[in-house]
Amino acid sequence: MAELRLEHIYKTYKGGVEAVKDLNLTVKDGEFLALLGPSGCGKTSTLRMIVGLEDITSGEMYIGGRLVNRLEPNQRNVALAFETYALYPPLSVFDNIAFCLRARSVPKHEIVQRVRRVAEMLDITDILDRKPAELGGGQKQRVSLARALVRDPDVFLMDEPLSHLDAALRAHMRIELKRLHAQTGRTTILVTHDQLEAVAMAQRIAVMNLGVLQQVGTFDEIYNHPVNEFVAGFIGEPPMNILPTRPVQEGDKLWLAALDGGFRLPLSDALRAKVERSKAQTIDLGVRPIHIETLDPSDDAADALPATVQTFESLGEEGQLAAHLGDSTVLVVTSPLLELERGDAVKLRFRPDRIHLFDAATQQAL
Amino acid sequence: MQSKVSNNRLAAILSDGFLGLYFIFALFPLLWMVLVSLKSGEELFTTQFVFTPTLENYQAILFGDPRAAAGVVARQEFPRFFMNSLIVSSGAVVLSLLVGVPAAYALARYRFRGKEDLAFTFLSFRFAPELVVIIPLSVLYRQLGLYDTYWGIIWVYQLVTLPLLIWVLRSYFEDVSPDIEQAAMIDGYPWWRIFWSILLPLVRPGLAAAALLAFVFAWNNFIFALVLGGSNVQTVTVSALGYISSAQAFFNRMAAASVLASIPQIVLALSIQRYLIRGLSFGAVKG
Repeated sequence: MAELRLEHIYKTYKGGVEAVKDLNLTVKDGEFLALLGPSGCGKTSTLRMIVGLEDITSGEMYIGGRLVNRLEPNQRNVALAFETYALYPPLSVFDNIAFCLRARSVPKHEIVQRVRRVAEMLDITDILDRKPAELGGGQKQRVSLARALVRDPDVFLMDEPLSHLDAALRAHMRIELKRLHAQTGRTTILVTHDQLEAVAMAQRIAVMNLGVLQQVGTFDEIYNHPVNEFVAGFIGEPPMNILPTRPVQEGDKLWLAALDGGFRLPLSDALRAKVERSKAQTIDLGVRPIHIETLDPSDDAADALPATVQTFESLGEEGQLAAHLGDSTVLVVTSPLLELERGDAVKLRFRPDRIHLFDAATQQAL
Repeated sequence: MQSKVSNNRLAAILSDGFLGLYFIFALFPLLWMVLVSLKSGEELFTTQFVFTPTLENYQAILFGDPRAAAGVVARQEFPRFFMNSLIVSSGAVVLSLLVGVPAAYALARYRFRGKEDLAFTFLSFRFAPELVVIIPLSVLYRQLGLYDTYWGIIWVYQLVTLPLLIWVLRSYFEDVSPDIEQAAMIDGYPWWRIFWSILLPLVRPGLAAAALLAFVFAWNNFIFALVLGGSNVQTVTVSALGYISSAQAFFNRMAAASVLASIPQIVLALSIQRYLIRGLSFGAVKG
């Protein structure tokens, strides 16, 4: 068990592709961290550098206070569960798990003991004699996890561990992985593009995009206080509505007017202070679909914005409304019981404490 | 419904019948060869299927001909030629394995400049007819002292065996996920151990099929062995020519020699048959 510390890590591939840029990240001892981002964001390169399958172009990496830049994969005492499982087809499940212990010349009785222990932990004692080709996806997954855990790694990495499982098994394995982490107390890093996985399992989430670490924090932090538009849009389902606006001063009131003229929104004092401090010319207003209320068209409050229903779908537990607000389409999560038809007039109210403002030029949160 | 079933049955009978006909057509030369090898000189040019079989041809090529006329080479040297064929063919396959397996691995795994050109060059050895290169090669071989040596023949056979091995195995290695090697690296194994205990078992069907085919091609090769081998390294294919002299053509002995010469290939093919079908249908199609 150990803390993992990345300091100014860069990865540049031959041909000049910068996969990871100035990555600073500390994963605490025993912590479960998810590395989340779209494909090509640098999360897999980061993972491969931690494991030692990829050279670090510059920067320093410490595992348990030990500089590991120049160490071979097997000297780092890390374990990786591959997305494709990468089990050794000619070997039985037992031998697959024992493989790394044999490489370290662990005495035979101890190998049997340790393999038994992880096999019990992962509930695979009944398939130890089988070959990988005879196993189902979930079983392969468990064997791959067992193989990674049997060596008592300082850092345990998982690369998209659930992506090849069907939905029911995935939900089950999420719980299993969480239990496994609680049971072993290993420093664990989960690499995934699926925010649901990250949210369900990890204690903290690191969001990456285009090789740059965007934000690290608990789900609450990145969901409620995204530092930029990318994080705001990437976390949350359905994604946050982003509406381009311009601040307009009128008397002593400050409004946000949509660039397409679709609405004018009076600002609360807190938001007004932010806008005035930033001096941004154009501001992207972000609001999540669940933080918009649908009001009766007759409501004449100043922050009730008139809109037209484009589509309304009742999905059983919730309703999804797409409404025209000027030229923009706004997505709203509503009660499933609304009765709305295409073309109906509604009024929308953005919950003022749930409005996010971003400088349109820098995409950073105000 | 009824007519559908009978249609299916008819189709099955027709296809079985057609396959049977093809089977006879394809194997007839072999059958004829065996028959001829059992005939005496007098019956040789008849087309009778019923005759008194004799083993005297086999006896003659294996132990010498007691009635050898002057001017006709006594063909009791057959065992030596057989050994020659065995040595150069297995030698060629072993050398191809030693060189070709790493080459196929490199072509499958690494990215380097000119990779495809290199792979294509290997394949192109199989395009050119052997006759095109045989004259310059024979001049070279005489100058280098490789003419009529085992090493010389084994070397030139690489033109036949190596491309086949590299191309079949390359697609096999490409099918093995690099993740497996990386997992083993993290597990702490040196590269050669990973290669030996994980990768080689995975490509074994391809290895068996390619090695067998390479052996058959090498064994059957005629022109290289004829021109670049002399009396020392004469192979069975070349020695078959010796049964025809200006005085007499011993087609029955030639047939006997051919029957004996095909035994190793048949034994090998049968023993690794289960790899062969998978190996060829698996690797070759993708390549």
